[in-house]
Amino acid sequence: MKAYWKQFYLKNGKILGSYILIACIFWMLVMIILPQIFMVDFSLRTNVPPPKWGTEVHSYTLEHYKYMVYGSAKAQQSYNVVDLTVFFRTIWAAIMVTIIDLSLCYPVAYFIAHVAKGGWARLMAVSLIVPFWVNEILRAFAFKIMFGSSGVINNFLVWSGILSQPYDFIRDNWALWAGLSYAFILLMIFPIYNAVETLDKNQIEAARDLGSPWWRIHWRVVIPHAKPGISSGCTMVFMLAAGTLAAPQILGGPSSLWFTQIIYQAFNQAGNWARGSAYALVLLITCIIFVLFVMKVFKVKLGEIAR
Amino acid sequence: MKSYHVRRFFILLFVFGFFAYLFGPLILMTLTAFNSSAFPRVTPWECFSAEWFGVLAQDARLLEGLRNSLFIGIGVVCVSVPLGLAGALMLTQVKERIRPWYYTIVISPILVPGVVLGISTLLFWDRVGIMFGMSRESLFYNGIFLTIIGQSTFISAYTMLLFIARLQRFDPGLEEAAMDLGATSVQAFTKILLPFLKPTIASAAVLAFLASFENYNTTVFTIISESTLTTVLASKVRYGINPSISALAVIIVALTLFGAAVFEILKRRELAAEKETKLVAKGLLEKTTRKSLVARVLDPALIMIFLITIAGVGTIYFAGTMGVDECKTIVREEKRKIIERKVRRQQQKAMFKSAVPQEDRTTAPKQQEKVTAKGTEQYKSVFDTQNLQGDPAPDNQETSEPKSNDTATDIFNPSNLRQSTGTE
Repeated sequence: MKAYWKQFYLKNGKILGSYILIACIFWMLVMIILPQIFMVDFSLRTNVPPPKWGTEVHSYTLEHYKYMVYGSAKAQQSYNVVDLTVFFRTIWAAIMVTIIDLSLCYPVAYFIAHVAKGGWARLMAVSLIVPFWVNEILRAFAFKIMFGSSGVINNFLVWSGILSQPYDFIRDNWALWAGLSYAFILLMIFPIYNAVETLDKNQIEAARDLGSPWWRIHWRVVIPHAKPGISSGCTMVFMLAAGTLAAPQILGGPSSLWFTQIIYQAFNQAGNWARGSAYALVLLITCIIFVLFVMKVFKVKLGEIAR
Repeated sequence: MKSYHVRRFFILLFVFGFFAYLFGPLILMTLTAFNSSAFPRVTPWECFSAEWFGVLAQDARLLEGLRNSLFIGIGVVCVSVPLGLAGALMLTQVKERIRPWYYTIVISPILVPGVVLGISTLLFWDRVGIMFGMSRESLFYNGIFLTIIGQSTFISAYTMLLFIARLQRFDPGLEEAAMDLGATSVQAFTKILLPFLKPTIASAAVLAFLASFENYNTTVFTIISESTLTTVLASKVRYGINPSISALAVIIVALTLFGAAVFEILKRRELAAEKETKLVAKGLLEKTTRKSLVARVLDPALIMIFLITIAGVGTIYFAGTMGVDECKTIVREEKRKIIERKVRRQQQKAMFKSAVPQEDRTTAPKQQEKVTAKGTEQYKSVFDTQNLQGDPAPDNQETSEPKSNDTATDIFNPSNLRQSTGTE
């Protein structure tokens, strides 16, 4: 070990070596690991006002996790139906958004990478970047305008006679679904595009020459090659959809909550930071489980997912 | 062969639909910025106007948020680029056995939900502040400081990935050669590695700034009592909207388009330069004289883009200021007429109703049913569209001109109502 550090300092010099070491330790400890440990610790303590933090009153308890499952002791139901429903609905919706985005993006990514010709392909690839840098909130705003009861879609449907009166897309969560799929579509298409693009065209040609129908070419040649990209896209979209706050706040109907909104309310309205961090931890653990699941199913490494 | 053509047609249709989905909302939003209607919409089109840009420029809260966002963005660049570089350099040198662990830790912030990062940062610095007995006014309770730290946690991982990609193409022999020739390690770093990484440092800085500028999930928890552009926007969009937000979006989209164009040009030039150096290396081409700095900055394509942008903005602005007032009076007059007509019709109808009860009997129960069904579903449907428009809707079908109708229902428009109640 000593020899290793000697080597390290010999290679980088005193100044640079110390800098790299200090910067990495600061980043890993102070910014990544310790805050997470503090959050876990905080979620396991009673909810007391800030001046009493760290005193005896601020003792360890499991009450916040119990609350999430069983609800408050005074409630009539034996389970916390509201929070649990919201939690499972969020997870389900995030999975659905992932599937929608995957089915939209794979054909387009393949098209841009292998079917479209030179200039057009470049133009399409560049034009994908534009919506990506428009603010998340502004994107949600665009959908609110579009799906509103006097929005373009409703006006068109009423004008063309399909509907007799405007349909409330926002209350029935159509706007939310469309907006969420839109928000993360680019995080799906870029990894898939990058993966598909590296595929040698000759492989496709060879499969075609050997008489393989188009769907089998995809199933046996293109998809296996694009697997790291697909798994990376799926993970990113799922994580971001499950952890998003802006789109449900803006596009969600009055009766639909997102799990992050409950966390947000615990912090900003109920003033119950301990419960908020307990719920945040539940969200984090769910996401970790999902990543491990994807790594297992697609047989990819973490390095291939986070790119 | 026929099936091939059919398939190709459907693929093209699919791709077209995809891009329509991608750009349709943005185009519509852009259009609403130029409609003088107080609610952002495209139809009915009232007057072409640029007034919402003026409203935007006078919004003090938004401007303060913008200032904070810029400041935070610069702070994040200053923190995350050096951190990312250190992290990438560390990865190349860390022991083989520890590497997967190290990589998992530094990459994890990308995969952790932004909300969780924000909360953990907030809690951590709060506790640190208590431990050191800091006052509430100190740095650890400052929203801007916390936001810079919180965002840097994951943005450093982004920049690190960029540096790793670049370092993979670095030949470590160069550094060794320099050191063998007597350079100190610092010299080797500044003379060899840094110039090699320069383009990546630039793109990492841009990426870090943009990622910070548009972040919401982490910021909303760490910002505490301050505000950034995104938090101001979010509260604006949630409680009542007007087209000045669309105007802001137009500015952002225009900047993005400009950036994408510049990026594309730079990339092309880089490719051309690479080709040239390859040819020079092979001895196929005489080393050409390098262009002067002025000639490089004044690329014809860049000048074209710049001029087109100025011309476009100028035309839109002047077109927007000319004749808006007259147009508005006309629209107001039209609206007034339509409302008058409507009131008259309703009065007539009321008279008819008492005279012809039969028609009433067929339509009334249906509406009644709908209202009660919606009402039991959830109490919030007090603000519901259908309930509100229960009266004017049947009315709509009787009139012959649908276009004027749209304007007529303006006062009954649920979205106008929403503005005051909020959808939350």
